[in-house]
Amino acid sequence: MNSLIIAQMAVSGALMGLVYALIAYGFQLTFATSKSINFGQGELVMLSAFFSLTLLNLGAPYWLMIPGGLLFGVVMGLVVERACVRLTLEQKSEGWILLTIIFGLLGFSAAENIWGRDDRPFPSPISSDALHILGINVTPVEISVAIGVFAVMGVIELFKRKTLLGKAFEAVSADRDAAELMGISATHTIMLSYGLSGMVAAMAGILISPITTVGPTMASALILKAFSVAVVAGLDSGFGVVVIGILIGVLESLTSYYLGSGWRETPGLLLLILALAIRPNGVFGKVSIRKV
Amino acid sequence: MLQVENLRAGYGASEVLVGASLHVKQGMIVALIGANGAGKTTTMRAISGMIKPTQGTVLLNGKAVQGMSASQIARLGLAHAPEGRKVFGPLSVEDNLLLGAYHRLPGFLGFHAMAAPDLEKIYNLFPRLRERRLQAAGTLSGGEQQMLAIGRALMADPKVILLDEPSMGLAPVIVQEVFGILRRLKEQGITLLLVEQFAKSALEVADYAYVMDHGRIAVEGTPAELHRNEKVIAAYLG
Repeated sequence: MNSLIIAQMAVSGALMGLVYALIAYGFQLTFATSKSINFGQGELVMLSAFFSLTLLNLGAPYWLMIPGGLLFGVVMGLVVERACVRLTLEQKSEGWILLTIIFGLLGFSAAENIWGRDDRPFPSPISSDALHILGINVTPVEISVAIGVFAVMGVIELFKRKTLLGKAFEAVSADRDAAELMGISATHTIMLSYGLSGMVAAMAGILISPITTVGPTMASALILKAFSVAVVAGLDSGFGVVVIGILIGVLESLTSYYLGSGWRETPGLLLLILALAIRPNGVFGKVSIRKV
Repeated sequence: MLQVENLRAGYGASEVLVGASLHVKQGMIVALIGANGAGKTTTMRAISGMIKPTQGTVLLNGKAVQGMSASQIARLGLAHAPEGRKVFGPLSVEDNLLLGAYHRLPGFLGFHAMAAPDLEKIYNLFPRLRERRLQAAGTLSGGEQQMLAIGRALMADPKVILLDEPSMGLAPVIVQEVFGILRRLKEQGITLLLVEQFAKSALEVADYAYVMDHGRIAVEGTPAELHRNEKVIAAYLG
């Protein structure tokens, strides 16, 4: 019986962990091209979720809402790049840190003013009646989270490996100056990475909302753990964020079961501190080797 | 094909180029030689848009390109194989070559088939790259990386190639191999501006040469003329 409960906890923790991984993956995308990340990424998740909910309330069918919500995410990602990142990168300053935090704060106030402070349910046509698989309860909604996460990451990874545009994306990540000499515009590539990162954030919002509800504060809990995942896994391995995301999800689920829900943030934060102390490049991060 | 007039450029407050002028005619190999710190690499960087010239003009096929971004200039037909080779280390050799042709290939699919004939040409010129086509470029030897950098520049089917110090850090026998390839490319009629420390080897392949000193052109002429110039002999060919 006990092992069944542990298994149950592990499965639902792992599914949450996949959402952390997806948000962390959004950090990786922009870090690869521009060595910058959007500290307001959590608010981007939340705003996209609210926007998608509004689409549903306006009568849009669920399957049409998804592309609508993703498009909103892309647009918001581009806004962040234009308003908070591009100018500071041109001046080689770290100003994007402050500006993206401010973007997050603005997004938070905007959400409170537009949609109110209350958490709202997010209807989904996918059933939340539990299925019993090997004695473990899993709902189709939870399964849809896993499918959605792997679908989005899979499509983006395919794009990077199989299309010339994707290879150009990798080229800018590897050597921005050399990529420019090939006729690849670094500016456009960075825009692309922010657009994709926004799309990933929107997908995370759409996937998680039926489980957690939508509210202005939904971001803060998610983003902290997404940071932990990104730092522990390292900022250049998509495979790494999935593994570490699942690990942190499982650990926090078990911690809250055994020690009480007040302790659920601890494993993620402990791993974060450990990673920063022992392996700042991340467990899956490439240790930079320079050939002279 | 490439006309540079009175080019001034530098890094921040320190001005490196103080009015350099040079011409590269179609089908010619032009060498730019000179001591360390004379401004050869800076000249190339200012031509290709890696740094913005503060003054002067750069005409590529008659079109003024100074002040444009490096990617715009590359799309207009200038391929710069930079100092230190700068191959995309994590990407495969073949991906590096494909990216060389980035601006004339479709962005999503079908690019591989379209580039196949050009890839074939590069692989015939550099059989070693064919053997290693799926290997990460960062794992190649220095000489192989230089071949890849040249191949990548050729893939752009450019009007002019800028080649910066192909011999840098290479064993003498590899340097000879690189210059052998330059001779073969010359027979095929490429237009090339070559920066080189090994002035002797550079003058052997070049049709015309400029000697740079303290940010300006000190002497110019055909290799035969430079070989008769005693100052040049003493400083660079001795």
